[in-house]
Amino acid sequence: MIKLLDVSKLYENDVTALKNINIDFKEGELVVLKGVSGSGKSSILSLIAGLSKPSSGEVIVDEKKISKMADHFISVYRRENIGFIFQKYNLISTLSVAENILLPLVPLNLKKDELEKRLSYVLKLFNIESKRHTIVKNLSGGEQQRTAIARANINSPKIILADEPTANLDEKLSLEFIEMLRDLKSQNRTIIVATHDPLFFNLEFVDRVLEVSNAEIL
Amino acid sequence: MIQLPEVLTLYILNTIVLSFAFIAFILSIQIVLKWDFSATTPLQYELEKKSYLGSTIIKYMFYIKIPLFLFYIFTLDKISFILPGAMCGAGVVNSSDYATMLLFLKVINLYLFAYWIVIDKQDMMDEVQTNLKKKFMLYIALFIFLLVEVLLEGVMFNAIDVKSVVDCCGAIFSTNDDTYLSMALNLSPSLLLTLFYLNFMLMLVVSFKKINYIFAVLNLLFIVISLLSLVSFFGTYIYELPTHHCPFCFLQEEYNYVGYLLYAFLFIGTFNGLVVGFVAFNRVESSKRYKLSLVFNGIYLLIVTLYPVTYFIRNGVWL
Repeated sequence: MIKLLDVSKLYENDVTALKNINIDFKEGELVVLKGVSGSGKSSILSLIAGLSKPSSGEVIVDEKKISKMADHFISVYRRENIGFIFQKYNLISTLSVAENILLPLVPLNLKKDELEKRLSYVLKLFNIESKRHTIVKNLSGGEQQRTAIARANINSPKIILADEPTANLDEKLSLEFIEMLRDLKSQNRTIIVATHDPLFFNLEFVDRVLEVSNAEIL
Repeated sequence: MIQLPEVLTLYILNTIVLSFAFIAFILSIQIVLKWDFSATTPLQYELEKKSYLGSTIIKYMFYIKIPLFLFYIFTLDKISFILPGAMCGAGVVNSSDYATMLLFLKVINLYLFAYWIVIDKQDMMDEVQTNLKKKFMLYIALFIFLLVEVLLEGVMFNAIDVKSVVDCCGAIFSTNDDTYLSMALNLSPSLLLTLFYLNFMLMLVVSFKKINYIFAVLNLLFIVISLLSLVSFFGTYIYELPTHHCPFCFLQEEYNYVGYLLYAFLFIGTFNGLVVGFVAFNRVESSKRYKLSLVFNGIYLLIVTLYPVTYFIRNGVWL
C-alpha cells in the first residue's frame, strides 16, 4: 500500500535525514518506527503524508506517486487519506475542541448535518463529548491528545501517522492512547507510529517494529 | 532627461521587477534544459522546487505590472504639465520616437503575462504538469519582451526634451490630416457604432454556441473597434466636444479618471474572451471565462453608451 523506494532526504544544511530507504507498508498494518531523536523517523512520516518531498527516490501510496504530485494534488491526497497526530498536538489553542476537530473538513464544504454527524461520532469514539465546547488551551495534556486524535480521524483516513504521540503524556494516558490505537487498527486502518517510547515495542497488536538509526532502517 | 519623482519611482520599480524577472529567467532556462518529470533524481526534485519559485515570481511580477502600467500612464499625464505644448499623455507619447511602440509593447506584455498566469494555473491542475516546459519557454520569450520594454522606457524618458514644443492630441488625432489614423477617425459614426454593437451581439450569440476560436477572434476585433469608436465617437461625448478625439484626456481628474475604468474593463473582458481560443479549458472554467468576458465587455459597452445617451437626454440633440 505504501512504498518508499530508494528514498533519500537531505536538508538544506547538508544533514542527511534518510539514506536510500526501502520500506513497504501493507494495508491494515500497524508499524512502529523506533529510534532516537534525529534518526529519521519523522522524516519518513512527513514523506508519506506529503508534507515534504524526498531529495531522491519515490514515495508511492496506493499506486500513486505522491512524491511527484503537484501541491494541489498533494493537498487533496492528504485530505482524503491521511490523519496525522503530532507530538505537540498542533491544535489551535484559541478554538474549541469541536472547531479544532472540524478544521480538516472546512475545504469540503459539507452540510451542517453531515458535519454534526461526523463530529458526534469522533467525540464519542475518543471520549471527549463533555469537552466539546471547551477552548483547547484549557484542556489537560491527555484531553488535547484525544482532541488531536479525533481531528486526525474526522475524515476517516485510510492511513494514520503518529509522530511521538506519547512524548508529552504520563504512562496512564499513554496506555489510554495505545488502547485507542488498538481500536483504530481493528478498523483496518494502516497505522505508522514513530516513537522512542518502549511501551510500544512489545504490544501484541503491533505487526512490525522497525528500527531507524543514522538515516537508515536496520 | 526628465527627472520627476514619478519617473524615478518607475526606474526603481522597473529595476526591482527586472531583478526578479531575471531570477525567474535563470530558473526557466534550467527547467527548460533539464526537466524530466519521470526522473526521481535530486536534480529533478530540485527543479520541481524551482518551478514553484519561478511561477510565484512571475505571478507576482504580473500583479505588480498592472498597477505599474496604470502608474506609467499617470506619469505620462504628469509629464504633460511640464512639457511645452502637451496637454495630456498624448503629447508626451508624441514627444519621443519610442513612446508609441513602448505603449503598444506594454499592452501586449500585459496580455502575454495574463496569458502566462492562465496557462500556469492550468498546468498546476494537471497531475503530470504536461505543459510545464512550454510555459517556462514562453516565459523566456516574455522576459526578452520585458527587458525591451524596460530599456525602451529608460530610453524614452531620456529622450524627452522639456525645452522642445510638442504637438498634442488636437494635432495628433486631427481628422483633417492625410494619415491612416485620420482616415480611421473619419469613419462614419453610424458605421462604427453598427460594427461596435454588432460585434458585441455576435459575441453574445457565439457564447451560447461556445465556439471558442470565433469568440476569441470577435474579442480581438472588439479591442480594435472599441478603441476606434472610443476615440472617434464616444470620447467626444465624454469631453462634450465634437472635435476632440483623444485616448488620454479622459484619464485626467477633470473627467473623473473614467479612462482607467474603461480600459480596465476592456482589458479584463477581451483578455478572458481571447484566452478561450488559446487554452483548452474544462467546461466549468470555459463557461467562467465566457461569462467574465461578456460581463466586463458588457459593462464597458454600457458605460460608453451612457455618455451620448445622457448627453441627448440633457440637451435634446446629438453632438
